[in-house]
This record gives sequence, C-alpha cells and structure tokens, in this order.
Amino acid sequence: MSSLVRQFLVMMRANLAGLRRRMAISLSMMLSVALVVGVLAGFLSMAAGFEKVLTGTGSPLVAVVLGGGTNQETGSEISSEALRGIMALGGDIGAARDAAGHLIASREIVVTTEAAATSLALRGMDQAGPGLRDGVTLTDGRIFAPGMREIVVGETLARDIPAFALGRTVRLGTLDWTVVGLFSAGGSAFESEIWADLDTVRAAFDRQGEVQSLRLRLVDPAGIATLRQALDRITALPLTALPEPDLYAGQSGRTADLIRMFGWPLALLMAVGAAAGALNTMMSSVADRTVEIATLRAIGFGRVPTFLATWAEAAVLALAGVALGTGLSWLLFNGWQASTLGAGNTRIGFQLAVTPQVMLSAGLLGLVTGLLGGALPALAATRLPLTAALRARG
Amino acid sequence: MTTTPDLTPWITLQGVRKGFRIGTETVPVFSGLDLTIPRGDFVAIMGPSGSGKSTLLNMLAGIDSPDGGTLQIGGARLDSMGESARSAWRAHNMGIVFQFYNLLPMLTAAENVELPLLLKPIAAGDRRARVEKVLELVGLAGRGRQYPALMSGGQQQRVGIARAIVTDPALLLCDEPTGDLDRKSADDVLDMLRFLNRELGKTIVMVTHDPQAATHARRTLHLDKGQFVEERKAA
Repeated sequence: MSSLVRQFLVMMRANLAGLRRRMAISLSMMLSVALVVGVLAGFLSMAAGFEKVLTGTGSPLVAVVLGGGTNQETGSEISSEALRGIMALGGDIGAARDAAGHLIASREIVVTTEAAATSLALRGMDQAGPGLRDGVTLTDGRIFAPGMREIVVGETLARDIPAFALGRTVRLGTLDWTVVGLFSAGGSAFESEIWADLDTVRAAFDRQGEVQSLRLRLVDPAGIATLRQALDRITALPLTALPEPDLYAGQSGRTADLIRMFGWPLALLMAVGAAAGALNTMMSSVADRTVEIATLRAIGFGRVPTFLATWAEAAVLALAGVALGTGLSWLLFNGWQASTLGAGNTRIGFQLAVTPQVMLSAGLLGLVTGLLGGALPALAATRLPLTAALRARG
Repeated sequence: MTTTPDLTPWITLQGVRKGFRIGTETVPVFSGLDLTIPRGDFVAIMGPSGSGKSTLLNMLAGIDSPDGGTLQIGGARLDSMGESARSAWRAHNMGIVFQFYNLLPMLTAAENVELPLLLKPIAAGDRRARVEKVLELVGLAGRGRQYPALMSGGQQQRVGIARAIVTDPALLLCDEPTGDLDRKSADDVLDMLRFLNRELGKTIVMVTHDPQAATHARRTLHLDKGQFVEERKAA
C-alpha cells in the first residue's frame, strides 16, 4: 500500500470518527441531500410510471389506421369513402382476415366525457374491438351488447372511481349507461378507458358517421409495412398506419417530458441549496478538525490526502443521504397510484415507478451535490495554517 | 554512553528577517537574526510573549518561512525550499513535540506513534516493531492499545515524544512540552528529553516559559524583541 493511500486512510478514519461530534450538522447535510434525491426521484418515478403504462400498452400485431395526417387519435378522421376503400382492399395487405375473408377490424371513436368530476375517455368500438386488444381479459361481467347503452370499464378506473362498479348506472353525457363488465389489461393505459358500442356512442354524443381510427389485426408485426403500401393505393385523405404500441408511446413521450421538465429544474434548484448546506457542514467539519489536520500536516502528511479525505467525508455523507433519499422514495412512491391527463385530456391512471434508472439519476444528483459542496472545504483543509497545530489544544 | 555536541554548526540562521502583515502594515519580528546550534546540542529558548519564540520554532520546523536571510539545517536550505519540499524534509529529519500533545483521540497510543512511519516505505510488521520499541523507550511498554483519553497528561506527552522520535530524526523541536503538565510529570518529560539528548545524541530545540525546564538544557537563549539578549550555559 502506498504512503499516499495510508495517509488518506488515517485521515479518513479520523474524519469519520469525528462525525459523532458533528452529529447534528452532519445529519442536516444528509437530510438535505436526501430531500433533493427524494424530489427528483418523485418526479422521475412519475414520468417513468407514466411511460411504463403507455409503452406497455398495445400489441405489435395490431395496427391503428388514422386519417387526416395526424399520428394521434385526437384530431384523426377517416372518411366513409376511405373506410370502404380499406375494407375493399384485396390480396395480401399485411392484415389478417377471418374465415370469410373479411379484415379483422374495429372502427373506433373516442369521446371525452365526465363522470365523478373526472374527464374520461369513452371509446366506441365495433364488436371486434375487444378482441383486438391483446393482453386484455374480461375479469367480471360481459362485453357490451350492440345498440345498448352498456359499458365495459378498465379495472384501474373501476378501482379509482366507485361509480364504475359492476352493475352500477353512471351518467355519461346526457344519458345513463350501465356497467356490464370489468376488464384487466396488466395496468396498461387500456385500463383507464371505458368501452362501449360504436353506434351507441356516436348516437349519444351526436357524432353520427364519424370514425377516428380503424384497428386491424396484422398477420405478423412486419405486416405493418405491407399495410402502409396498400393504404397508399387509396387516394382519399392521407392515411397513416401505426403499430398500436407506437401510438401510445407517442402519447407518453410528450407527457413524460413535461413531467421531467418540471422535475429537473426544481430538483436542481434544491440541489443548489443542498450544496450550500453541504459546504457549510464541511466547513464546520474542517474547523472542528483544524488541530488534527494541522498536526498531521506538521508531521509531514501531504495536501493531496488531506483534500481527498475531506472530500471523501462529504461523499460519505452525501451517499448516506442518497441511500436515505432513494430508500424512502422507493418506500413512499414506488407503486403509488396516480393519474394524469393523457391524449384528448382524458384521465390515465398509472403507478409511480422508482426504477433503477430513476434511483441512479436521483442518486447521482445527490452525490454530485455533496461533492460540489465538499470541494471548497476540502481545499480549505489543505490551506490551514500549520501554526495552528503548535499552540492549539486538541 | 553520554554524547557531547559536535562544535560544528548544524543549524544556522544568518540575517533572518520575518514580519507579519497586520492590515496594510508589516510588523517586524526578526530584523536580521543570527543563530548557530551544533549537532547534539539541547537548547532552551526563553523569552516574554511576543518575543518571537514561536515564530523561530515555526521557521525551524519549516511550517513558516523567513522573509529574508538564510536558514540551514544539516546542509539543507529550508529558506529556499517550497512548502511541499519542506514538508517532506520535515517528515524525514525532525520530530515535533507539541504543548498539548496533539494526539488523535480516535487512534490508540500505538497508532498515534505510528503516524510518521506511514509516510515511509516500511512494512507493517516493521512499523509495529519500531512503535513497540519507542513506547518501551518512553516508559509506556504494554500501553500501546490505550486511547489517549484514558492516559494522564504526562503519559500523553510521552506518547507525543515517542511519535516525534519514532522515525529516528536527528532534530527534535519541542514547543512548551511541559506547559500543560504538573511538576512531577514535567520533570519526567524533561528527564526523557535529556536522555534523548545525552544518550541518543538528538539535537533538541525547546521553547519554554518555565525556567526550571530550561535547566535541563545544555544552554538557554533568551529572546527579546526579536534578538537574543542573553545566553546561559548549564552548569
């Protein structure tokens, strides 16, 4: 072991042993770093949870056809002419067909409605619609019947809003609807939707003849390219075909970025405050250890180990804060149920996810906070007047 | 075997100037100080507060440097060395005994004594052997595992002396080594220093306020207003 390492270890040991004397101020540094970590972890876990819900939604075996040059259902419109054109497409268009040779498809429309003072997405779909949701299972009740004001509700929504319990009647728009079924979709964004018969929804919300999207079952994930080529042959409004996961991932990106845009500046602002706190703590640590440091330097210990040992003390305290912050974040935030507005300003329920990536980002910010706050005091430790050692009472 | 000082000057100060800035003014402490100390000498430096004793000791220790003149110890020009060179020189050539012992409370007596050895390429086993040897020399055999807080002032100062001599330096600088001790403990420490000088040939420069402590030295220099005003040799 080199002399430098031995010097560092002795000084580090002296620093850590003195922590008990500086308990209160050391704890305050730890807590301020933990707070920075907690705030950032909170925002990032929100963004991660939201992304997880939306990126986990949809199947690559389902294509969503949109009209009007948009890649979101909101603002999309597929004309009757275009619909007829698609349904009449013959040959291999990348989409699966039933035994009769018809495309397995669902015309759909999403209307924004309110219940229990919450903005919700009511999706009208053809009878094939539920079958085009891979990974979705009916957990209770049955699917809506054609022509009836019946709704099937995602479990997340039913859990968060008691009015959507099975068998209850709920007013959507100006009419009452009966909850006839509950479905589970592994916590994905589907679970925040209400499904009903397309024609009933269109009639109830005065949207006769409208279709926003067409869902098609693909023969395989690569079928999307063939479908796009086939859609180019239809000369009506421009049509876009997206794999279903891409549709939801596109929605998640914007909202998650927005959450991060709030989270990072707030956390960075707090980090500046915490770095100032760390600087104060470490300055007091250096002041407390003046005699020890000066004595060791008078004996011949170098500036480099003096700097590193003081800096390492700041790092140790910051790491303790990081451990506390990430630990508490995980306990408090991970799995916490939240909701936000998704596409069409409708409610999307999700769980906060304190992922390893979230912990790493928040932890690194906490560590950098401590290191920045500790650098100046570490420098100050190397510049202590050694004459302090000769006459000071240790 | 009792050793006697070599008459050749070993520590030499010539025309040393030193001042301290207070605001915009420089207050001179030394304005051309001369001093020679032969190897093997034991010099006590006395004088009133503000006479320059501590400043002189700090310069001899290399933790402060003169503004002018030359300061040479054993052929090494401390006045022309940089801070890190002086630090390295100090680690290899001198030991310092502090008034308040300056032991690290979280380390045992043996670990405190071992500190200067950590700067040298010495194996752990050899370091331990040397620590045991010097603890025995200062009368603390078997006390190495004790923490300073559990020791008397006299014992702590012995640990301080052991730490100062563990690297076998030629020069010992002692800053009021008995200033915090009762008479009995002070006499024990002074006897120890005398032993180190007489029997082991260490050159010792000791700053003290205590006239009785000074009687243990071979000679006493009186400093006043930055000048040596009197020299008294031990009987």
